[in-house]
Amino acid sequence: MKTKTWIIILAGVFLLGLIGTLIVFFRPTENKIANLYVDGVCIRSIDLSSVTEPYEFTVETDHGSNTVRVEQGRIAVISADCADGTCIRTGWIGERANPIVCLPHRLVIRIESDVVGDVDAVAR
Amino acid sequence: MKRGLAICMGFLSLLLLFTGCRKKEVSKTATIFAMDTVMEFTVYGNSEIMPQLEATVREMENRLSVTVDGSEVAVWNRGGSETFSPDTADLVARALEYCRRTDGALDITVCPLMRAWGFTTETYRVPSAEELAELLEKVDYRHIKADGTTFCKSAGTEIDLGAVAKGELGNRLIRMLRESGVKSALLNLGGNVVALGNRPDGAAWRIAIEDPGKEGYAGVLQVTDSAVVTSGGYERNFTQNGVVYHHLLDPKTGLPASSGLLSVTVVGADGMLCDAMSTACFVMGLEKSIEQWKTYRDFEAVFLTEAGDIYLTEGLESSFTAVDRYADAKVTVIRA
Amino acid sequence: MKIRRLTLCAVLTAMACTLFWIELQIPSPIPIPGVKLGLANLVTLFAMFAIGPVDTLLILILRILLGGLIGGNPMAVAYSFAGGLLCYLIMLLLRRILGGRQIWVAGVLGAVAHNLGQISVALVLTQTPQLLYYLPVLLVSGMLTGLFTGLIAQFCVLRIGWIK
Repeated sequence: MKTKTWIIILAGVFLLGLIGTLIVFFRPTENKIANLYVDGVCIRSIDLSSVTEPYEFTVETDHGSNTVRVEQGRIAVISADCADGTCIRTGWIGERANPIVCLPHRLVIRIESDVVGDVDAVAR
Repeated sequence: MKRGLAICMGFLSLLLLFTGCRKKEVSKTATIFAMDTVMEFTVYGNSEIMPQLEATVREMENRLSVTVDGSEVAVWNRGGSETFSPDTADLVARALEYCRRTDGALDITVCPLMRAWGFTTETYRVPSAEELAELLEKVDYRHIKADGTTFCKSAGTEIDLGAVAKGELGNRLIRMLRESGVKSALLNLGGNVVALGNRPDGAAWRIAIEDPGKEGYAGVLQVTDSAVVTSGGYERNFTQNGVVYHHLLDPKTGLPASSGLLSVTVVGADGMLCDAMSTACFVMGLEKSIEQWKTYRDFEAVFLTEAGDIYLTEGLESSFTAVDRYADAKVTVIRA
Repeated sequence: MKIRRLTLCAVLTAMACTLFWIELQIPSPIPIPGVKLGLANLVTLFAMFAIGPVDTLLILILRILLGGLIGGNPMAVAYSFAGGLLCYLIMLLLRRILGGRQIWVAGVLGAVAHNLGQISVALVLTQTPQLLYYLPVLLVSGMLTGLFTGLIAQFCVLRIGWIK
């Protein structure tokens, strides 16, 4: 095949991927339930909208532990003993459709839907 | 050769079992109960500094809190030594400066009034007019005569640094974090938020302003290297005979300030200034607050009025977003 | 196994491991699992087009095992294997089709295959269909990083040529 053909094919795939990315990231959602999955099994479900007092808990699995913090409308993994720390760097989720994923520990935290944008702290 | 390779592979797979030991501490969060509130520190990077931060909180609390027996402030209030340690003297001097600057809208001598209303002990009551009139005699920051680290008092003068102590604490903690090389941290001193740098992902910190009337937020501020302090009557109050009395007392009348504001959020680099100005602005009301802002230009603010409108100073125009119930509120930008 | 071949494989494995380690030291700007430069893939790509499929497979497997050791994460080995092998297969297919100036195509498609392999394993292990939301992101990032490593590998192959 000619190089030009390859470029056209790959550019097409790239464009599709780009459109897909935009759709995923701007996908709006409605309620605000955070579900925690370990090994694909939902181990806990939290209604983030009804949280009044922030709290933390640790998910202990055979693979390691992740400390999860829950606040009104948002949830985050704040510490973990996994190697990459991706789950922590994902930060607070509340609005975004992308879940917190800790691959080494097979932990997934997902927002089923939501209203308010994610916030780091509340001044009061 | 083949056997050797097999042995090597077997050894390698065995080693793999021991690989899960490496740890990477990306952020550390500490929760500290101090100064009548819950503080929460999130530090990215160097987390070894956490115990030092906590020690600073304790040190300042033991030095400045009115409720800690033997604190410099408690001793001064009781009529003991009139001389403060240099750090405390500096803090009190600065606080008095803010009292002057706000023409007494902020007054650190409001202590007797707070006690009469029961806000210090949570045994709420409404004092009589006569009682208030009598107490108001004692309330005036001008009764304190400063001379170096010595602060002479009139009879009955008592100070409470509650309106500035957390702000100064924030300043100190941020300085410590900076000196230890931390680039990103968020300190929540019981709703008095101080942000260092940006979020670890490089974006500005998103600090929400609480909705004074309801669960949820009124707006979100995007800030970098700033303190965000909100004062509002909704924080601490009690209801008697259908009337709500809140803890932000007007030092001039002795009554809860009713200036038409639900809350004031002050944003700026100096945490102590923000702390002082949020209280003062709430007491002063919108007009006088705007005058302060125009004169000094050393802070930015968001005002939520009883009418449900939002006023913000022009420095926050691009970093403030109204949300939830306030998403459709009327927003007025205050310009110089 | 000839000494020459053994040495060549050893050197390339060492290079792959070094690149892998270097990449570990660079914090990912995007906190999405799977988004990375894939520098180690450079060696696989080079070996495939400059040495041959058998040695490439050997280097790849050794690199993944040693990489697990360096990275300190045994779970990552499973993901690397899935990604690495799928990537290998794609490159094997493209080896005969592509000309010397088209090696970058193998880089792009290889990286995409690598990400696809990883996400498939993640789907199986975590049983979370929502991970598919990452698919477009990984597709885009894989194509960009693959183009980068692919071009470098192509440059190397053209300069160094076929190694016997």
